[in-house]
Amino acid sequence: MNRRTAARLGRYLLTFALVVVAVAAVYPLLFTVVSSLKTQAGFAEDPLGLPAGITLDNYLEAFRRMDMPRLLLNSLITTVGGLVLSVLAALLVAYAVTKLRFRGGKLVFLLIIVTLTIPSQAIIYPLYQTVLDLGMSGEYQGLILAYAAFGLPLGTYQLAGYFQQVPDELIEAARVDGAGHFTILFRLLAPIATPALAALAIFNFVWMWNDLLLPLVIMGGSDSKTLMVGVSLLSGQYDVSVPLVSAGLIVALLPVLVIYLVFQRQLVSGALAGSGK
Amino acid sequence: MTISTTPVPEPVVADRPPEPVRRPARHARLREWWLGAALVLPALALAVAFKLVPLGRGVATSLESSSGFDGTSFAGADNYVRMFDDPVVRSSFRNALLVVATLPVWVVLPLVLAVLIHQQAPGWKFFRAVYFIPYTVAPIVVGIMFRQILAPDGPINALLRRVGLEPLAIEWLNGRYSALFSLVAVALWSFFGLGVMTYLAGLATIPGETLEAAYLDGAGFWRRLFHVVVPMLRPTVAYWSVLCASGVLIWLFPLIYALTQGGPGDATMLPEYLVFLTTFQFLDRGYGSAIGIALFVFVAVLSIFSVRHMFTEGTRKPR
Amino acid sequence: MNRRRLAGLFAAGVAAAALLTGCGGDDNTTDGPVTLKVLTWEPGGAEYWKQVKTSFEAGHPDIKLELQSVPFDKYPEVQGPYITSQSGPDVMANNAGLELFDRRSAYVPLGARAAEINKDLVTYSGACEGFDTSKPCYGVPFSYQGNVLYYNKAVLTAAGLDPERPPTTWEEFGAACDAVKKSGKTCLALGLSGVFPAYWDFPEIARSYLTEDDIRGLLAGTLSWKDPKLVSVLGKLAEISTKGWTNKNAPSITMLPDGADIFQRGDAAFAGTIISDAVNWEAFGKALGDDKLGVTRWPAVNPGAPLAQKFSGIEGAVYGVTQWSEKKEAGLTFISWLAGKENGELWVKHAKGQPLNKNVDKALLPSSPAFQKIQELVAQPTLHAGVMLSGPEADALARGWQQVALGQLTVDKWADQMQQALERSPTKKQSK
Repeated sequence: MNRRTAARLGRYLLTFALVVVAVAAVYPLLFTVVSSLKTQAGFAEDPLGLPAGITLDNYLEAFRRMDMPRLLLNSLITTVGGLVLSVLAALLVAYAVTKLRFRGGKLVFLLIIVTLTIPSQAIIYPLYQTVLDLGMSGEYQGLILAYAAFGLPLGTYQLAGYFQQVPDELIEAARVDGAGHFTILFRLLAPIATPALAALAIFNFVWMWNDLLLPLVIMGGSDSKTLMVGVSLLSGQYDVSVPLVSAGLIVALLPVLVIYLVFQRQLVSGALAGSGK
Repeated sequence: MTISTTPVPEPVVADRPPEPVRRPARHARLREWWLGAALVLPALALAVAFKLVPLGRGVATSLESSSGFDGTSFAGADNYVRMFDDPVVRSSFRNALLVVATLPVWVVLPLVLAVLIHQQAPGWKFFRAVYFIPYTVAPIVVGIMFRQILAPDGPINALLRRVGLEPLAIEWLNGRYSALFSLVAVALWSFFGLGVMTYLAGLATIPGETLEAAYLDGAGFWRRLFHVVVPMLRPTVAYWSVLCASGVLIWLFPLIYALTQGGPGDATMLPEYLVFLTTFQFLDRGYGSAIGIALFVFVAVLSIFSVRHMFTEGTRKPR
Repeated sequence: MNRRRLAGLFAAGVAAAALLTGCGGDDNTTDGPVTLKVLTWEPGGAEYWKQVKTSFEAGHPDIKLELQSVPFDKYPEVQGPYITSQSGPDVMANNAGLELFDRRSAYVPLGARAAEINKDLVTYSGACEGFDTSKPCYGVPFSYQGNVLYYNKAVLTAAGLDPERPPTTWEEFGAACDAVKKSGKTCLALGLSGVFPAYWDFPEIARSYLTEDDIRGLLAGTLSWKDPKLVSVLGKLAEISTKGWTNKNAPSITMLPDGADIFQRGDAAFAGTIISDAVNWEAFGKALGDDKLGVTRWPAVNPGAPLAQKFSGIEGAVYGVTQWSEKKEAGLTFISWLAGKENGELWVKHAKGQPLNKNVDKALLPSSPAFQKIQELVAQPTLHAGVMLSGPEADALARGWQQVALGQLTVDKWADQMQQALERSPTKKQSK
């Protein structure tokens, strides 16, 4: 066997391995889609196979049971709000810590990234009490601010790492040209950090959209509950209708997939924090 | 230690009065400090209000005996002492250590896949897109899906039996260790795409020639990986390790919830789930908080290196 | 392009943030109708609760209902903080029994009103302290709940058993299981993950060993788990799994939905579940056919024991008015209405559950043979031993059973763990 055939064989093996992983990655999702097209009885009879007949009833039922437009709106407001706020706050901190002569900046930076290690389950009671003290229980701003706070440490870290790579001379040059701090931050640094911003956006969007704990505790079951809470309500008191829940989940998943497709290019085209040398 | 910003060179030309840079340096410094303070204020307020204050209140609760909903009383360190004799607490932290021991897999597996994709295997764009999909699936769905998939007669075992690996077709969620590692595997399924994406982004910053030279020099794949790619990707590897180290226990929570509820027995009991059980099902908030604080310390110790790394990464100057 | 997209995102975010201040506090109290916030996990399903809202509001134009629906398994996480902070909804629900009593500090005792509510109900004591209607009562139930053993007649027939005479004793049950196993099916569909074993299986064996006084002792925490009676109960529970009467994956699945699914798809002869809400005669009848579905009491280990031929019955969800509510009168009006005939009929019609109100129109009751049989069974109620268990006890029962089934624990050690769980139970602590 000469070197070239070996290389070609290696290539095939490589492709095969990647295909196996790809199948493993999408199979569960296909499984969910297939489940969502089954009737409850059909699913109970044969949970694994392909459905004998396709039914869209689960989707209709999911839409009937949930106030979909309102839930979507709630999820969008809170997720986008939390996302933007956390990125914005992270941008400001990253700038102050890396590009300003700011005594105490390191301490602030440390304080913020340390919050990454606080387990959310352990602080649920006091978190609710704090939200209540702030008068924000059941309100959009309560959830948005909480999302922002939980998304903050990673964002701050990523952006600070990114800004750190930008030579100070560049900033100075801009300053000499008469650029103010905000111009520098939003016109100069932010564009350079676009890949990091895109990565942050998708990361935060996904977890905020999918999160159950914070919206449940902060919003209760009120009208401002998020889509994911609505979907998990589809499983009634004890009953879990897998096809129905699957249908709701596919609906809840679509916006995330759309966002992902929108940001996919930026995600890959650039680099993440600190990835430069 | 002061902030290592390169000092702004004072302009030499001094005969144009309206220049702002003419102001006394002390004044400018002060102004810049106030600006910095204003800029960090929103983030600081968020972190304090939604993380640090609740944590402080949690610590206070952990020093109380607050069983049930009728009143609380100061208990000193009682709750913490109690933890040492509690076999469930012990096994939950032992399980947490086992989970942490899988971290190398979390770091290496996505890296290998990313490098394979980066070598531009046929259809690499497709793989890149597909691998990320699991991450977008909500944890509650992941739980529901894998309950079916890991069932004794589910697809995984059906496949194993078909390819003649009958003895491997075990009851995944029944065993003392297989249950825990099945959960970890499901979590890994959920997050590996994020890792691949992260590494790909890192790889994109490395000049193509450097990598190509490494790929072509005929060294074995693993040698190349650890001697060429990893050193160049160090910051990305570090970032992803931080994310995994601080996240893995949290990521497992919804899966435990949906798949095993900590069982059988306490085989898959993890501290985060125990905090939930103790606080909300057993109504023992004081003790639940104490376990929560212990978990905080555990994760903090675990990520002390990563946090240190993040800290230096975020504050050091490029050379 | 990228930059513009991101800038757009920022603009949207800033706009959203600006809007927030506007759309925050819109619940200005005016002179219009009172709005009651009701925290519920929607027992009986979303459709039933829609009907409740419509019907109640139609009869009470001065009160509006705002349902705050939370998934059942997330309910404690939402309700707990409300209770500790003494804030939140005007009306909340808890399951009758210890779950409700543990949270009584959240509810307004009903006082004289209780007698009036009780008047038309089949049973009411589960909403009152110590299962005693002469003590303070904290809310209003409207559904009846309890355990029965469902069976699949076709599976029994195929195993050579008489589908009209299901086993009534432990020995008969063992023999039936052997026959069913031989025919290639699972005998008892079971899932041991989570708290369902504590509520659905434990009380049924306990009836063969305990008296009503013992069950009250269980509630008070005075009956030790080392007591021979309770150790025997655990021993019989262990037998169910060690004798191979159940599906093999029982230790790792939950009864709901996975355990129930085994029965629902016709792979098991028996399933021990409940009479109202989900996994009841209605769901099983739909899946298997009403004529194929049988229902009976769990087999008795000691048929002569005082409670062996009784029904472990318990009121379903109990709705009470919260201590912190500023609309207590409206709240009382609503929960009193819940106990009434109108809601009882909604419950039968839309939730297919067993009503508590005696005056519900008999013509509305379902014609399913299983449902008719249940009417016979519920006629001899006794205390439900499951709802006397605290959170730690229910958890330890399920976990211990898992380990016993997997051969990792002995029954005696299990009893030890149960006793430790009892001693950990906040509201069962014995003053020494």
